[in-house]
Amino acid sequence: MDGLAGYILRRLLFLPLTLLVVSFATFYITRWGPGDPVSVYSGQYRDEEAFARVRHRYGLDKPVIEQYGIYVQRLVLHGDFGVSFRFRDRSIPDVIGPKIWVSARLGVYAFILTFLIGIPAGVFAAVKQGSWLDPFVISVFLFFQSIPVLVMVPVLVLVFAAKLHWLPPGGFDGVFSTSMILPTVALSLPGIAGVARLARATTLGTLNEDFVRTARAKGLDEMTIMTRHIARNSLVPVMTTVIGLSLVGLIEGALFTETLLGIPGIGRFMFESVNGRDYNVILAVVLMGTTAFVFANLLVDLALIVIDPRVRAGRGAR
Amino acid sequence: MSSKLTLGIVGVAAALIIGLAVILVVVAGGGGDKKDTSATTGSGTPAASATKAGADFGGKAASGELRLRGEDPLFLDPAVAQDAGSAVYIVEIFSGLVRLDKDLKIQPDVAESWDASADGKTLTFHLNKKATFQDGRPVTTDDIKYSFERALSPDTGSVTSENFLGDIVGAKEVSRGRSKVISGLKVIDDSTLSITLDAAKPYFLYKLAYPTAFIVDRRQIEANPKRWTQKPNGTGPYKLKEWKLGEKITLEAYDNHHLGAPKLKTVRYDLTGGSSLVAYEDGDIDITGIGLDDLDRIQDPADKLHKEYTQTPRQSIDYLGFNTNVPPFDDPLVRQAFALAVDRKKIAEVVLKGAIPVATGILAPGVPGYSADDKTYPFDPQKAKDLLAQSKYAGKLPEITLAESGAGATVGPTTEAIVQFWKDNLGVDVKIQQAESGTFFQDIDNGRYQMFHLGWIMDYPDPEDVLDILFYSKSKQNNTRYNNPAIDAKLEAARTEADTEKRLTIYQDVEKQLIKDAVWVPMFFDTTHALVKPYVKGFEFPPVIIERFRDVEVTR
Repeated sequence: MDGLAGYILRRLLFLPLTLLVVSFATFYITRWGPGDPVSVYSGQYRDEEAFARVRHRYGLDKPVIEQYGIYVQRLVLHGDFGVSFRFRDRSIPDVIGPKIWVSARLGVYAFILTFLIGIPAGVFAAVKQGSWLDPFVISVFLFFQSIPVLVMVPVLVLVFAAKLHWLPPGGFDGVFSTSMILPTVALSLPGIAGVARLARATTLGTLNEDFVRTARAKGLDEMTIMTRHIARNSLVPVMTTVIGLSLVGLIEGALFTETLLGIPGIGRFMFESVNGRDYNVILAVVLMGTTAFVFANLLVDLALIVIDPRVRAGRGAR
Repeated sequence: MSSKLTLGIVGVAAALIIGLAVILVVVAGGGGDKKDTSATTGSGTPAASATKAGADFGGKAASGELRLRGEDPLFLDPAVAQDAGSAVYIVEIFSGLVRLDKDLKIQPDVAESWDASADGKTLTFHLNKKATFQDGRPVTTDDIKYSFERALSPDTGSVTSENFLGDIVGAKEVSRGRSKVISGLKVIDDSTLSITLDAAKPYFLYKLAYPTAFIVDRRQIEANPKRWTQKPNGTGPYKLKEWKLGEKITLEAYDNHHLGAPKLKTVRYDLTGGSSLVAYEDGDIDITGIGLDDLDRIQDPADKLHKEYTQTPRQSIDYLGFNTNVPPFDDPLVRQAFALAVDRKKIAEVVLKGAIPVATGILAPGVPGYSADDKTYPFDPQKAKDLLAQSKYAGKLPEITLAESGAGATVGPTTEAIVQFWKDNLGVDVKIQQAESGTFFQDIDNGRYQMFHLGWIMDYPDPEDVLDILFYSKSKQNNTRYNNPAIDAKLEAARTEADTEKRLTIYQDVEKQLIKDAVWVPMFFDTTHALVKPYVKGFEFPPVIIERFRDVEVTR
């Protein structure tokens, strides 16, 4: 385990560096664009002199590099993410915490549904290779993948909310309510095809492996072969390539789905924050996303070690 | 063996998810959801739902509770907030020396009465001795002085304070950081206060009814300077009882209010979003606005909702503005030609389905000086062509771009129609440039456009609030760069004209002149379309943002 701990430590040592680069880039780019929070916030009141006074009050008139220095200093020394220009009486974690929480729970649902359908569908298609069922299953999910979310969400609302009245048309009443069904479906449908195709390809790869033939020759029942010999080996690439990225997708939230269905998540909020030039909020969300990305990748790599004996063995031998 | 392995895989997946959730909670500083913990099932599938949408509001239907859809206010500091989303809450929680009633007339609020000096420059206010903050503390003139000086102080960061309080002698000294006290504001005793203006301005009282001039509690702010607005202590008829970000806001009547206890006990805002019309039809909320798509159906007398339908004019105007400094719109003939070439009635009927009226001038209905007779250029394509031919840009028009605020994806059908009219009737191809609001406003401030599509929402019902602010040549908000000494002289005279009738005549004259000169093409006035449940009595949609719950009765 010594090697493993060292490995984790090495990976984590890069995190502060990554955050520094990402934060500077974001800091600079947001201030580079046209408009600024004071001007946007002021709506129809256009008074450049008053704007200048308010910019001075919030230190927005200082050179960008100086503003960045102050930001980093406050963040590192006091854990202070600065002021949200739109929500001036709240700390930034207070503002975005609930939004991320909403998106994350929605994302976990979508994530589970994607894999719950995607993996069995892929394995099924692989086993049925050569029959019409294989292309049929994959095509159905490809069809859903190719529908833009902007089209799919209104159609789902029209059918299940407006016509059938089975589900609420939007809103957010907590995770254990029917209002979660539409967004979960809308978020998972496009991703299922990817998971299914990958699961199909890797399963096909393992189906022809020697050890599978050996298992069959030994007379093991088909279920044991599927779960123990095939699934175990074919799931590894699915985990590595898809899950790591999907996990990050969860916290980034889903801009269109959240906006169209009135879900107060972080995707919709980011959009509003960019439009409102709420610099510190944008930066805080980007930093959290970066941190989560680093951790998600680390977790996936660690999970691989647990799942795949070859990875474990390889490390032990070194 | 095999089941053990399957368990292993599931376990890893679960660990991944839980691990991520833990990171999120730590990083984001938590953020719980009550409904979550109250749920007993942990299966993680959406189908396990037990809570039904709206169950929160259904059961406890106590009379005197009004249920609405709303949005999170950004910031409940009356001195700073200027967005409509925050203002609708602020006008209930806070109040000022005077207020606007439903007919937009000035009425006493914290000030019981006031008198003006002979020259009209000094106003002496006598406070209502019953006026208290919502924690019971009596309001004194020191509170007014503190509130005004705080609003103007550079530390407060308000962009509007100079606009609304800048007429007081010495106010600009405070806003520019040269003084801490407003020299023109004198506390005479605990309930008497005098305010001296730089000139006798009849519209100044309107400004005092605007949130920037509302009264805040010094003790509360000094005790908790950063977070006081989360539980503000105002002088308005409603207390902010509860505010859960993104979930709900509850306002509760302040029974000891100096103008009498409000009739309506509770106002509950659902902040979770979603279709408000569906929520209304399901009986989860009592009032909803109506979008253009649903308007046809509800305006049909046969529709079951038609009886609950109401429409009210709003004091705002949608217009096309020209930059009178740059070619080709520095030539009034070109501006007039563009105004004559657009059939606004047709756009209103076909594109907007008659939802909002065509503007008859610059002053909206309800603004003093408004008249129903049409002062704008009629649709006359032939005359438009002739004028364009007479202009100095005849035959050599530069490329023209219309700027508007928008996300950039699609151009609104109204704008599309306007541009089509110019193409058909003048043979001019006008390009449309969409910019999101940040960029759009900055371009307008800097005069980087030829022509723009914009709106103006009245802050108070006085013609000064649009004509002087937008067309006076030295005004900071003169976005058309219009410079006409004759108009300037009239606007200056109107500011201090004591005779109301004469004053309004001047403004009407200015309005006619501006339209004739085609500085704007006034397009449409605005209308609120809404549904109100029959058991809600006394609710009205005011044409500007003022308090509206005090006299409402809900007999559900």
